[in-house]
Amino acid sequence: MIRLEQVDKRYPNGHLALSGVDLVIRRGEFVFIVGPSGSGKSSLVRLLYREELPTAGDVYIDQFHLTHMRRSQVPRLRRQLGVVFQDVKLLPQRTVGQNVAFAMEVVGASSREIAKRVPQVLELVGLGRRRDSFPHQLSGGEQQRLGIARALVNNPVYLIADEPTGNLDPDTAQDIMQLFLEINRRGATVIMATHARDLVNQVKRRVLAIDHGRIVRDELKGAYHEA
Amino acid sequence: MRPKTLWYFGRETGYGLWRNGWMTLASVSTVAISLFVLAFFIVLSVNLNHIAATLENEVEIRVFIHQKVPRKTELQLLKQARGWPSVRQISFFTKTQAAHQLQSEFPDQKALLQLIDQSNPLFDGYDVYAHHPAQIPAVARRFRRLPVVQSVVYEGLVAKRINRVTEIVRAVGWGIEALLALATLSIISNTIRLAVFARRREIAVMKLVGATDWFIRWPFVLEGTVLGLIGAAAADVAVNYGYRWAIRAAVAAMPFWPVAPLHLVLEHTVGVTVLMGLVIGGIGSLVAVRRFLHV
Ligand SMILES: Nc1ncnc2c1ncn2[C@@H]1O[C@H](COP(=O)(O)OP(=O)(O)O)[C@@H](O)[C@H]1O
Ligand SMILES: [Mg+2]
Repeated sequence: MIRLEQVDKRYPNGHLALSGVDLVIRRGEFVFIVGPSGSGKSSLVRLLYREELPTAGDVYIDQFHLTHMRRSQVPRLRRQLGVVFQDVKLLPQRTVGQNVAFAMEVVGASSREIAKRVPQVLELVGLGRRRDSFPHQLSGGEQQRLGIARALVNNPVYLIADEPTGNLDPDTAQDIMQLFLEINRRGATVIMATHARDLVNQVKRRVLAIDHGRIVRDELKGAYHEA
Repeated sequence: MRPKTLWYFGRETGYGLWRNGWMTLASVSTVAISLFVLAFFIVLSVNLNHIAATLENEVEIRVFIHQKVPRKTELQLLKQARGWPSVRQISFFTKTQAAHQLQSEFPDQKALLQLIDQSNPLFDGYDVYAHHPAQIPAVARRFRRLPVVQSVVYEGLVAKRINRVTEIVRAVGWGIEALLALATLSIISNTIRLAVFARRREIAVMKLVGATDWFIRWPFVLEGTVLGLIGAAAADVAVNYGYRWAIRAAVAAMPFWPVAPLHLVLEHTVGVTVLMGLVIGGIGSLVAVRRFLHV
């Protein structure tokens, strides 16, 4: 379970990006975080994987108290999470397979586990045949799939995505959305920040609307509309 | 640590060194030069020690008698000097004995030994020991005043002075090395900074998927340490060949000079340079990792 209590985030330049955010996300949910550009979606997401700490309030994810945890515990938290970005952050010198394997390698997985798991995940995201390609040989949608494969490969409990369809054409964005839904069906909790109105409206999942750093709406089976 | 993880660190380290190309070369050379300078001072002090030790093994005062003085007079003086209060022990040697001693000390100096065989240019004399080092100059003066005495050398004093010089050489060497080490540290940490920069994408991904801080640091620390070790190895190779050359030159120019043998020099330099290489490389990369890696 993810829980935020009275969270404020003020950046060093004085800008207040989040204020008084209260929020609970249970395991297995699919949650959209929607709002106009600059409303604080990315700021909220960065708090979840502890890239940033809140200025006030508390963040809890399962047994982790993010605002009061030791540095040495952060890797354990991150291994529960998979993170996907708009700019996928792939390693250009490594093949598709190596990009995914790298994520397992650096958390100490064995060669056998890696050899078994990497093809499974690539198959799941539809890149089974692109294993030996390099990222620059992939289309935008395929690159995003690769980013998702990497986020999934260590079996995260929570999959967190920040505008994963932001750079994609509508059809490709559709496909990626279906992939997230499939991942959610298989048990992962999905949290997706987006301002892709059509996608949100079409799937009827929980929607958290955020504006000027405040949660202005929280609807199960919601839609993306102006408050 | 698992073999798989070791392999990962080894591969990443090697890859980093290779990718950094010129910077790797620059930092290895800097380490090598810095450690070579350190080794140079060590070689100096080892040699000074060697000279002092050689001299201390010999008699404290050596008195040489003019060549024309008859044996009877020499033996009378021996008996007389035995009675002097400062003299603890005195023994007489002939120039033939002196020649034999020389032959056993320098078996390689063929030309020289031949010369001695033909017309022994050495002197008869006495080995004299004082009760106390402070008495040595007085005893030496007393011998020197006698008309039959050709010359007097007392090497204990020389040895003592050499030891002083050795201490100074060593202190100067370490002082210079401290400065060089700082310069070396900074170039190593800059090399590692470049390595960190080259791998910033990988590092970002590693942090994101939950690699531990030390897992991220290790390849960089290893890289710095390997730079230090390669530098130390280069310095030691240079010392090895340089010193062989120096020995040959010294023996040709000053056959009697007690040059410390190569193995003795290497015994003193290799350990220190390797250790310093490790320390400089390790610390340099740790500094870089702390300042630039943010993990
Ligand atoms: N690192 C930062 N330093 C200062 N201000 C920031 C920083 N990151 C974001 N902001 C500001 O915080 C506000 C919210 O940004 P962000 O969370 O990126 O919104 P969104 O992802 O919804 O577009 C914006 O006004 C943005 O300029
Ligand atoms: Mg954003």
